[in-house]
Amino acid sequence: MVNGVQFSTLFQQIINGLSLGSVYALIAVGYSLVYSILSFSNFAHGGFLVVGGYICYGLLMGKGFNIWIASLGALVGAGFVAALTERLAYKPIRERTSMTLYLLIASMGVSIVIENLFVIVVGGRFRALPQNTFPSALFSLGGNVTVSAFDIFSLVIAVTFLGGLQLFLSRTRWGLAIRAAACDLRTAGLMGVNVSLLIAIVFFVAGLLAAVGGIFLSVRYTLYPQLGGITTKAFVAAVIGGLGSLPGAVVGSLILGLAEMLTAGFISSQMRDLVVFSMLVIMLLVKPAGFFGKQIGDKI
Amino acid sequence: MRKSLLGNAAFVALGLVLAFMPLSGYEEGIVALLCINCIAAMGVSLLTGFTGIFSLGHAAYMALGAYTAAIMTVRYGVHWLPAIVAGGIIAVLVAWLIGMPTLRLTGDYYAIASIGLGEAIRLILENWQSFTRGARGFPGIDSYTNRAVSVGFFTVLGIGMFNLIYSRLGRELKASRDDRVAASLMGFHTPASRMKALLISAFYCGIAGALLGGYMNFIQPSMFDMMKSTELTAVVVFGGLGSMSGTLLGSAAITSVMEYFRDISQYRMLIYGLLLVVIMVLRPEGLLGDRELWAFVPSLRGGVKRSEAREGGEGR
Repeated sequence: MVNGVQFSTLFQQIINGLSLGSVYALIAVGYSLVYSILSFSNFAHGGFLVVGGYICYGLLMGKGFNIWIASLGALVGAGFVAALTERLAYKPIRERTSMTLYLLIASMGVSIVIENLFVIVVGGRFRALPQNTFPSALFSLGGNVTVSAFDIFSLVIAVTFLGGLQLFLSRTRWGLAIRAAACDLRTAGLMGVNVSLLIAIVFFVAGLLAAVGGIFLSVRYTLYPQLGGITTKAFVAAVIGGLGSLPGAVVGSLILGLAEMLTAGFISSQMRDLVVFSMLVIMLLVKPAGFFGKQIGDKI
Repeated sequence: MRKSLLGNAAFVALGLVLAFMPLSGYEEGIVALLCINCIAAMGVSLLTGFTGIFSLGHAAYMALGAYTAAIMTVRYGVHWLPAIVAGGIIAVLVAWLIGMPTLRLTGDYYAIASIGLGEAIRLILENWQSFTRGARGFPGIDSYTNRAVSVGFFTVLGIGMFNLIYSRLGRELKASRDDRVAASLMGFHTPASRMKALLISAFYCGIAGALLGGYMNFIQPSMFDMMKSTELTAVVVFGGLGSMSGTLLGSAAITSVMEYFRDISQYRMLIYGLLLVVIMVLRPEGLLGDRELWAFVPSLRGGVKRSEAREGGEGR
């Protein structure tokens, strides 16, 4: 019997882990996309997620739109905020210096600004999207294993968006340009790619994906200005998978989601974060380039 | 030699002024806090500005110093002075353990690893209930950090730091920052000097943390989160990478701005965030660039302007 219980916990946590991991993947992919072009860690990425969450909440509760329109608004809104952030904060820095540290610190500033704007404007309290927003029925899969429709739903949507991104990158002209820019931004510019527009598009896409993640996270947990802090885990996932690599970000996110949920199920849920950060450090020590990253040695 | 003698004398004078200037109780508190922040900032400046290693986890060393000093004084009744020093030493030991494997990472990778390590240390402090009292914090620390103590530590450590950056080790660090390969070819053992920089910076942060504990009478793991680490690095960048006096100015400026806006605490963090962005956009090289304060005084400037000599190093 003990084994049966253990097995069903295992199965349960694997499903939860995949679902959580798929949400991380949405965030990590956007972060990694930006990294692949500009090679800096955009710490404001969590802010885009919060913007998406609040726009969705506002349209849904305040204006009474249905969830699809509200989500669409959130996606586009967060995309615009991301592109605007790039234009106002990062572009002037990019044009002046090639030191990515300045971008990194500016992005932390942006993240603090976004978080505190929401604290001031809408208040710091926790908000929940209504329960019936998304399918939330529970199915039983025999034994003690139950699956929430929401978990499956978020997994499906995440896969859809990631697939869409893959198509965009592999089949369109702009996708080709982005892949070229990831190889070498300067050369791509010399070959006639409009670099400014390209970077704006990359940020728009990153913000849009972050908003999808933000909506799911605000249903799974609740919505509050500091929700963006969870992106740290998506960064970890991106690093584990290999910075700048999109398949890496997805694989890293799934590994992280599983590790987190299995730790919560079998050890203790307080240890989850510790496990996440230990994985990061171990990965960096063993294979700093991650599973799929470009091999980085010292730049000589 | 004359120059550094003059510098030392100036620093002692600064310390004496800070220590004996007549001030109200509130202002004394600010001076103490200022000194604490400057000590931590000097540590991070050595690592970031002078060695070119970007850390986003240095708050963890402050946390180690703070908890060591707090536990030693409260639980074991140790005198505050050895407890503060022990706080610095524990930070150094942990930094050594961490630095051994991670210092081979460079650039963003070290920064990300340091986030992970910093958060891991914070989470350990938070979850080790029996020893640290966990997330609710550690109350009842004696207020051993008065103005005299923190100014004293600041003066001693400041003189140490300024002499260090003009010493052989200081030049070695700058060489390995500007071009690691060339520095290695010149015969410097760059991994060892990077390690020394990390250990010294951890020591400064540990001391600052221990002093902070005595200043606040209360510490909590969440005081030393990633936000605090960011602030440490941001202060250094604001002051100017590679300028120790700039670091002190930057730290003093940020501390005063934050104090000034204490009444409108709601907007405080917003202003701080905007400040970071605006500084990066308008003056990414920071207040003083990579020059020291006295490089702006013509009679003290010796020959070549260093900023010209370093022009090529921008593209790291």
